[in-house]
Amino acid sequence: MRRIVHMTQKEFRQVFRDKPMVAIIFAVPIVQLFILAFAITTEVKHTKLMVVDYDRSTVSKDLVLAFVHTDRFDLAGHTTDLREVREGMRGWEVQMGLVIPAGFGADLVRGLKPQVQVVSDGVDGNSSGIATGYAHGILAGFGADYAAVQDSGAPPAGLSSVRMEERMWYNPDLSSQQFMVPGIVVVLLTILPMMLSAMSLVKEKEIGTMEQLSVTPLRKHQLLAGKLIPFLFLSYVELAIVTTVAVLIFRIPMNGSYMLLALLALLYLFATLGLGIFISTITRSQQQAMFVAWFFMVFMIMMSGFFIPIENMPPVLQKLTHLNTMRYFMSIIRDIFQKGSSLPFLLRDVVPLAAFGLTIFSVSVLAFRKRVG
Amino acid sequence: MTAPETRGIQITNFRKLYGKTEAVKEVSLSVERGELFGLIGPDGAGKTTLMRAVCTLLVPDGGTVLVQGRDAARDIAAVRARLGYMPQRFSLYQDLTVEQNLRFFADLFQVRQKEREGRLEELYRFSRLGPFKKRRAGALSGGMRQKLALSCALVHTPETLVLDEPTTGVDPVSRHEFWEILRAIQKEGTTILVSTAYLDEADRCDRVALMHEGRIVAVGTPEEIKAGFRHVLYRLAGRDARELRRFFSGLPQVHSTQLFGDAVHVVFAKKPGQSDWEEWRHALEGKLEHWSPERPSVEDVFLELIGSGR
Repeated sequence: MRRIVHMTQKEFRQVFRDKPMVAIIFAVPIVQLFILAFAITTEVKHTKLMVVDYDRSTVSKDLVLAFVHTDRFDLAGHTTDLREVREGMRGWEVQMGLVIPAGFGADLVRGLKPQVQVVSDGVDGNSSGIATGYAHGILAGFGADYAAVQDSGAPPAGLSSVRMEERMWYNPDLSSQQFMVPGIVVVLLTILPMMLSAMSLVKEKEIGTMEQLSVTPLRKHQLLAGKLIPFLFLSYVELAIVTTVAVLIFRIPMNGSYMLLALLALLYLFATLGLGIFISTITRSQQQAMFVAWFFMVFMIMMSGFFIPIENMPPVLQKLTHLNTMRYFMSIIRDIFQKGSSLPFLLRDVVPLAAFGLTIFSVSVLAFRKRVG
Repeated sequence: MTAPETRGIQITNFRKLYGKTEAVKEVSLSVERGELFGLIGPDGAGKTTLMRAVCTLLVPDGGTVLVQGRDAARDIAAVRARLGYMPQRFSLYQDLTVEQNLRFFADLFQVRQKEREGRLEELYRFSRLGPFKKRRAGALSGGMRQKLALSCALVHTPETLVLDEPTTGVDPVSRHEFWEILRAIQKEGTTILVSTAYLDEADRCDRVALMHEGRIVAVGTPEEIKAGFRHVLYRLAGRDARELRRFFSGLPQVHSTQLFGDAVHVVFAKKPGQSDWEEWRHALEGKLEHWSPERPSVEDVFLELIGSGR
């Protein structure tokens, strides 16, 4: 037990002696959090809209205002020629065209169902789909408001008698930060323990100190415990920092229990520290370890539902994501943050996470060899 | 000769394979307690393999290794607790200070608190690293690094000390100092097994084993080794050493020749007579000015044993 303490103490000394390392551990996560949180967004804002107004009535002007008053659309220009929309799209100056036919205003006043045309640049299918959805919402709202103003009596026959009321639960503003930031926490809790533990173990091999340690009475479990405890500790420090930033600066509502989060993070850290040990058993230099860790990380992030929804993947890949421990922790952390889920609701993810975490960890510990030759 | 159980190190019929290559072939060797024993041979002779087996770092493919009577393949923990090992490559924490390195190894070996300070003082004294306590190991010179590595291997006062080429790449002054330190450690009663690729360092050991291609080709005190020289060595001097060498290497009774600075070492199969010398001096037209019998060095014996140097 005393040896574990000495090993841990030595490891901490080495980590804090290495100033760039300290910077990597504490500053980089926060920088990453800020950059990623703003960069990775699934919201579509400021779509460049060109209006082709053949009607030129007060009604059509009101309609255009209804679009422009939101931050979802920016007016890119007016025209009377549909070809200009085409040109604009080619030059990336226009993303959507709104064509208002002649007589639109008059038809609406008469309670008919006038049609408008929305032309969207489909190159980025995802964004154009979302923007078209927004346009649909604005048009429906505009029609309803107009009808209400026109006659406060019976509901207008023209507009649909079945109306959809949208309520987004847990994330009413559909803020993508609310979804992404907890995900980034997971990514950071992967990088630090996996990469640092792998590199610190391989470093002992690389500089030959493993050989020196081998002839001491230090046992394998003491060596590993001494190596991993500092990184476990640092991972929790990082979890605390990043969660604080998420809650205080990004205003991500934390609806669940911090204790539960910390407890389940331990399961995930078993998996990532285990992977770190595993990487150190198959590599000989820190450089190799970094490459292998990078490979694992890209796979884990891609297959975790971090920004590519698992439901959108082909069935084979969807099955493959079940091998990815990050997938489980990703959905656990989002559930805890946004839905405030308690343990019974999380078991679907907690059970496989625990199984994978402990398996990876024990297999790696068994595979780890202190003797080098 | 003592019984095998009471010897410092007893290696019996040791074999080690790496894949299909036999790194060490059926080697037997015994080192007495308190002896300074040298393992001498070129790179790839199998010295490191043998030493790592003594340090419990590899399992033999045949034979046994006893360290102070304990089996190095079975009684691993007990052997390690009483053994100090200094690997060939500098392998301490370069980002920790001299003192932190020493204390870390003292911690791992669980050196008792009351003995520790005294031991550290002792180590600082003979290694003269005291003034550099706070310096990072990575910032030490080559000679000082070796002394620190040695100090770390000695921090728990081991019965047996194993050093793998400790003087390789160290300047001559530090090398000399290092051997003096080894002698001082030996006086504490420590059994020392040290390897070197410098054949001239053989003279600094009590006994040596010459290793070549996984075998031991000779064992004994440096004097015994030299006495085993079967040929006759002469040192020749003259105006043109290269010309002298060319001339003598062409003679049938000459076994081998070697340039030694301005002189030439010539190994004859049997002692040449006075008439031979007169004849050669005449043939060389006065270029041969001086000749005298030379005591063979361990290097000469080694080259003779492995049959090269012609």
